Amino acid sequence: MDLSRMNLVEFFANNGSTIRDYTMNHFTLVVWAVSISLVIWVPVGLLLTKSDKWAKRVLAVANTIFCIPSLSLFAIFVTIPFLGLGRKSSLLALVLYAMMPLLRNVYDGVKSADRNVIEAAKGMGMSTGRIMREIRLPLGLPVIFAGFRITVVMTTGIATIAAYIGERNLGRFISDGLARSNVEMMVTGALLISVIAVGLDTILGILEKWLVPRGLRIRRQQGQ
Amino acid sequence: MTWQNFRVALFQKAPGALSVHFFMVVVTIVLATVISLPLGVLLTRPRHRKLGVVALTLLNVLQAIPGLAVIALALPILGLGLKPAIVALLFQSLLPIVRNTIAGLMGVSPDVKEAARGMGMPAWRILLEVELPLAMPIILSGIRTSSVYVVSVGTLGALIGAGGLGNMIFGGLALFIPEYIIVGAGLGALMAIFFDRVLSYVEYRITPPGMRVE
Repeated sequence: MDLSRMNLVEFFANNGSTIRDYTMNHFTLVVWAVSISLVIWVPVGLLLTKSDKWAKRVLAVANTIFCIPSLSLFAIFVTIPFLGLGRKSSLLALVLYAMMPLLRNVYDGVKSADRNVIEAAKGMGMSTGRIMREIRLPLGLPVIFAGFRITVVMTTGIATIAAYIGERNLGRFISDGLARSNVEMMVTGALLISVIAVGLDTILGILEKWLVPRGLRIRRQQGQ
Repeated sequence: MTWQNFRVALFQKAPGALSVHFFMVVVTIVLATVISLPLGVLLTRPRHRKLGVVALTLLNVLQAIPGLAVIALALPILGLGLKPAIVALLFQSLLPIVRNTIAGLMGVSPDVKEAARGMGMPAWRILLEVELPLAMPIILSGIRTSSVYVVSVGTLGALIGAGGLGNMIFGGLALFIPEYIIVGAGLGALMAIFFDRVLSYVEYRITPPGMRVE
């Protein structure tokens, strides 16, 4: 393949509407997947903080699911008749992938609150619910948000692979480009999706820094 | 679904695909470790400390790039085949290992290093006998993250002619033979879980009992 014949600007200009379409589709899928994941996994994560035994089990399951190659998971769902090609399979796979970062970070965030602070709150006569709402959640928010950030960036990346099971999103440029040996198409797709992923990561990273209370800033640098 | 197709998938296609995939993953991880361990060590030496912070930020940014995009960008630059796929995988598998090497080495308590220096150890012995052993669990956890990732993105390597389990999955999707998909995808999942379990066991064994966090 000849790199010198590549004309990205021209491709970009000629396919404006397709690019817009695919980007829109991509984001619809990502927004749906992330919203469903948040609705399911954040409450589950909060519940898990009640029981260490269950937390260990569920996190082990989440970890195992997270290991499965994304193409494999998509492909396996396609073979299940009820799911088939398209949105249902991709949504289910993306929600399952989000399980591990969200559960882990919600759990760690809530659990990481300083024992002395909790003790002090108990001494002040706060109920368990109030301790959760007014102390554990605000203090764990940076960690929980870090999980959200990982989920968004990861989902954006994995969603490209859903192009192989019938999603019409930015991954399409890569899959069609590969199939037709159309380098411009492929490189445009790859660059677009990289820029979007890196951009999202950077923006959410800035937000994350901004969320951390000033007094906790240095300590967080030491953690993972 | 027929038993005939299953048998073809399991006994004729799977052994070849599995061994190519395994080879691809092992070569990538070994190369990645050989490259990124010295790089991580170099970036944490006091002389290059500032560079280390910059490198870490840069690596974090690059980490966000999806695997499919890296594979797609590798094709026009490197061409088709197993070798380009390994180079593309290498590019992404470096990041977690370098990052964890830097994090691990920076996490070694200055007091311990001070004590080693006080005992008259030269810098290279401090590195080999104090810093690296203490940082090893974190470095290994980077290698584990990286290998699971490489198994996953390795399936996409089939798109640029690397072969492996991805061939079975993409072939199955294109021809819609569910048996190929299930065998290929299932073996991919098992391989990733296998690497994760084995390396986390090694990680557990290598961590001194006093350092284990529960």
